Amino acid sequence: MSDTIELAPLDEAITIAALTADPYPIYKRLRAESPVLRVKSVGRTFLTKASDTKLVKDNAALFSSDDPNTPMKRAFLAHTLMRKDGKEHMRERMAMLPALMPKTISAHWAPLYERLAAEYVGRLPRGEVVDLFPTLAGPLAARILAHIMGIPDASDEEMQRWSQVLIDGAGNFGWRPEPFADSDLANAEMDACLERNAERLRAEPDASALSIMVNSQNPIPWSQIVANVKIAIGGGINEPRDAALTILYGLLSERDQLAEVQRREAWAEAFEEGGRWCAPIQASSRLVMEDTEIRGYRIPKGDTVMTIQASANHDEELYEDPDRFIVFRERNPHQAFGSGPHHCAGAHVSRRTVGAILLPMLFDRFPDMEIVDPGSVVWHGFGFRGPLNLAVRLK
Amino acid sequence: MVKVTYISVSGVETTVDGREGDSVMATAVANNIDGIVGECGGSMACATCHVYVDPAFAGRLSPRSDDEEAMLEGAASDPRPESRLSCQIRLSADLDGLVVRMPEEQM
Repeated sequence: MSDTIELAPLDEAITIAALTADPYPIYKRLRAESPVLRVKSVGRTFLTKASDTKLVKDNAALFSSDDPNTPMKRAFLAHTLMRKDGKEHMRERMAMLPALMPKTISAHWAPLYERLAAEYVGRLPRGEVVDLFPTLAGPLAARILAHIMGIPDASDEEMQRWSQVLIDGAGNFGWRPEPFADSDLANAEMDACLERNAERLRAEPDASALSIMVNSQNPIPWSQIVANVKIAIGGGINEPRDAALTILYGLLSERDQLAEVQRREAWAEAFEEGGRWCAPIQASSRLVMEDTEIRGYRIPKGDTVMTIQASANHDEELYEDPDRFIVFRERNPHQAFGSGPHHCAGAHVSRRTVGAILLPMLFDRFPDMEIVDPGSVVWHGFGFRGPLNLAVRLK
Repeated sequence: MVKVTYISVSGVETTVDGREGDSVMATAVANNIDGIVGECGGSMACATCHVYVDPAFAGRLSPRSDDEEAMLEGAASDPRPESRLSCQIRLSADLDGLVVRMPEEQM
């Protein structure tokens, strides 16, 4: 590769605060003007076109997940599969994946999900104004995940706190001590929880992730079993929670589409569009293993590229009117679950909980539910994004 | 070019020209064939490109790996002896005329 090829342009104006408040207008401009851009405030090379983000995610040999320079290892007290490649990654992933596959969900979990969703939806007070973030989306995601993982004795509060603390720690790029003090405490609680549940599941196996991993004929090391569950806790609550709230916001803001979704029972399509419209995980990083080139720019070995799937999902080359929530799109090849070997392991679970169970159940019970004040809904986040609140009148 | 015929659950047949070296999944996606998703792009990470290969071609395919077996095991539609993840089938001249059937569901 020739050194005469230029590096991508350098941006010194985009701030993390602006990206956190509303990244979409920025990404729109970048797709048009600078689809490969070194962004100084983030210290990453942004890729904002769908074909580029997919190409990077699908080529794990050139664009590695094994980046030792992130705070994730410190926060999780483990080198997790999220930051591994190749055979080692595949072995740890496959150790847990059977618990998350469609067949296991249909055979073992769907009736339980139905019951849990009915219980949490059933608690909501008819006729009142309720914020669905703390009353439904967060706790239900926590409860379902606790069961799938095999730690049903962890409370909703614990699951949600552990999740947030792990996320905060993994994102602590300033290496401040406080987030790690919190994650150390959470790790000790999670370790104790996992040990007592592993003992229970060795005696009475079930279809949970922990049971499948500890009872395997060829188990992965305990350290990695623990790390796998922690990854699921770190990623498995905010994502279904934010997806559910985003889809609800979309449907409640587009009543005509909602009516059509109800008529056709097109909850699966609504789910996909919500994920496309505002992906709960907006961006991921990959370490460049060899000098390469994207769109004519030199991408040197050792650089870190950031695939912005939030932007890929609004790419005008694939979507008409990408900023609008439009359930009935002819094609919706979004990358909300990523691509490549690290494709979201919880994709099937989220489709079958949020999409297939929660949405129809909620609208069946409250068909005329409405957002109280759309302007009061606060959207937040650069790496992870979703509404921080969603007050609705339940009718 | 290698001809591949995809048969939907309802029996609709679509024949397309694929390129040697491309996978049966990528060929489907490139031709907007409904019923094959291939969300992970061919990394055996999503099991959304499950197909039933016409038995006439069974002997011409490389065997399933352990990981492919494991993914098929958990797929949305029940695996059969002729089940494959279509991302794991590379087109070659030998497979010209390949016929694959889609399962009930992929997700």
